[in-house]
Amino acid sequence: MPTLRALLEGVTLAFDAMRGAKLRSALTVLGVVIGVSTVMVMASLVEGIKSQIFATVENASPQTFYVVRFFSSVPLNPDRLPAEVRIRKVLDERDVEAIRRADVIRHAGLWVQIPLRMEFRGERSQNLMVYGADNMLLEAQGGTLLRGRFFSTAELAAGTPVVVIETEVADRLFGRLDPMGEVIRIGGKSFTIIGIYQKPANIFQPPGAEDGGIVPARAAKENFRYDETNSLFITVLAERGISVAEAKDAAITALRVSRGIRPGDPNSFDVITQDQILDTIDSLTSAFFLVMIALSSVALLVGGIGVMAIMTVSVTDRTREIGVRKALGATRREILWQFLVEAGTLTGFGGLLGIGFGLAAGALLKTVLGLQSGPPLWSAVVAASASVGIGVVFGIIPATRAARMDPVEALRYE
Amino acid sequence: MTDQAIIRLAGITREYLMGGERIRALAGIDLEIGRNEYVAIMGPSGSGKSTMMNVLGCLDTPSSGQYWLNGHEVSRMADDDLARIRNREIGFVFQTFNLLPRASALSNVELPLVYAGTGARERRSRAEEALARVGLAERMHHRPNELSGGQRQRVAIARALVNRPSILLADEPTGNLDSATSVEIMRVFGELHAEGQTVVLVTHEPDIAEHAHRVVVLRDGRIDTDRRVEHPVGAASAVA
Ligand SMILES: Nc1ncnc2c1ncn2[C@@H]1O[C@H](COP(=O)(O)OP(=O)(O)O)[C@@H](O)[C@H]1O
Ligand SMILES: [Mg+2]
Repeated sequence: MPTLRALLEGVTLAFDAMRGAKLRSALTVLGVVIGVSTVMVMASLVEGIKSQIFATVENASPQTFYVVRFFSSVPLNPDRLPAEVRIRKVLDERDVEAIRRADVIRHAGLWVQIPLRMEFRGERSQNLMVYGADNMLLEAQGGTLLRGRFFSTAELAAGTPVVVIETEVADRLFGRLDPMGEVIRIGGKSFTIIGIYQKPANIFQPPGAEDGGIVPARAAKENFRYDETNSLFITVLAERGISVAEAKDAAITALRVSRGIRPGDPNSFDVITQDQILDTIDSLTSAFFLVMIALSSVALLVGGIGVMAIMTVSVTDRTREIGVRKALGATRREILWQFLVEAGTLTGFGGLLGIGFGLAAGALLKTVLGLQSGPPLWSAVVAASASVGIGVVFGIIPATRAARMDPVEALRYE
Repeated sequence: MTDQAIIRLAGITREYLMGGERIRALAGIDLEIGRNEYVAIMGPSGSGKSTMMNVLGCLDTPSSGQYWLNGHEVSRMADDDLARIRNREIGFVFQTFNLLPRASALSNVELPLVYAGTGARERRSRAEEALARVGLAERMHHRPNELSGGQRQRVAIARALVNRPSILLADEPTGNLDSATSVEIMRVFGELHAEGQTVVLVTHEPDIAEHAHRVVVLRDGRIDTDRRVEHPVGAASAVA
């Protein structure tokens, strides 16, 4: 395999040439290093965040989906709802009843999520997400009950002011005190603590969306003011062994019938499944990804222009060498190949350094941010091939010039 | 000798255009060189010696005329075909040695074999053999800047020989060497010729030319004289 041999020889030559022109090579390599480490760090961030969110979402029961008045990825201003939202009926118990009656549905509940402050003996939290729900919440959203209990049927029916609070909040408000049985103020109202739970691991909850606690749905509706578009939702669990798609169709049919929607008219509600949530997350991270690719392309471009410059100078510097090689029998292809390998080695070397930096920075981010995954392997593969590719592409012009040199002229070059 | 001709030139011209002016570096050359000849090409500066060398070495193609090398016409060949011919048939020795400065003597000598596609092991043993033949077995791993001028030219000769070419072409091979070293290098050429190698060298120094067995003198791109040397320098000892 003469080409493999030429490749090895080319790599050796490339390192020789780099030693000969240290500053020029260092600048070129630096450009590639920056580009490649940017790709790696961004990729590990994106992957880390994504796997974090996915893990959380998948933690929740895959049998769960939600019915909302209107689905939007950003909260709507309740005072300025668009007409298309305003014409939709607010979700109510009749809707829940209709869904619950469908035979593929295991559970349906009209829940709320309200950002509220929690307070115990002068110790106050910032806004936390308080759920008005029922005993199915942990099954639907993930998380575990650590101590105490959930609501009794009587408490749910009467809307008794009791709360199961999140363990981090408990630690913050109570410190060494035992919170069980204590009365805390939530949004200014008194609630008795009957249990402590741990939310599913997810570091990327926006401020105000961190879990605070869970109260009976009726207690929430009677005690707090909330906005009926963003806060109110119906949580639906499919019967075991029934696919979400099937349960979703059943719920939609039941709701349409109950609301008297004529065939052909659009739904006056939205249904969100986890797949849609994952899709939304996916499209958000893809946008982030595009930004990242744009940023690192600039750095790689700088590296590319650097390699073009260094190769141009290198070809001129080594005109005589090219003449000698041609005199000894090198064909155009062999000369072209030599300089392309050299350019690829130069940027590939930068790529390797960049991968090293990227891995280190990714590992650092992983520990600092508590991400579950480090830099993904594919990003290293992409980075390595991109850097070699940059060298080869930007090396084509100088390498072609070398290949086309006239041997007599090249040998006479001083 | 005609049936044994390695080189046959017929009506070779080489013209250059310089600032609209036509320069005839070679103005119609007819020449035959047979197997195991030892030819010196002489002539004043600008007479066309180097141009003729480049044509003979397939580095350059003539403007008109025919050139047969080993019976194959090479005067109309394409670039890459000429590269293959140079690799197999021609061994070049230059005035300025033209070794790759960063490579060891051994790697320099291996280079033509790299382009011939020879395997690494065979490449190495043949390069070692060629270096031993020019008396540099001890200096194989030195770089050119660690070698004297004479030693560098020996490395270049080893490199020219390593592919067992039909002709050894040397353009002013002693031009950058002192007289003692020149004699040493000319002795190497004499030995190679005695072993059967065809040698063509360009020189403007008459005493160097006297090592050859035939002297062709160029003037204004034409052959002025073509004579045999009665008693070549060093020939007796080499042949004996
Ligand atoms: N590349 C070139 N372009 C223009 N003229 C050239 C070129 N090479 C050689 N010549 C001209 O051709 C003539 C012969 O040159 P050359 O073969 O180098 O002679 P020598 O080697 O005998 O000194 C000279 O007049 C020289 O100026
Ligand atoms: Mg000359």
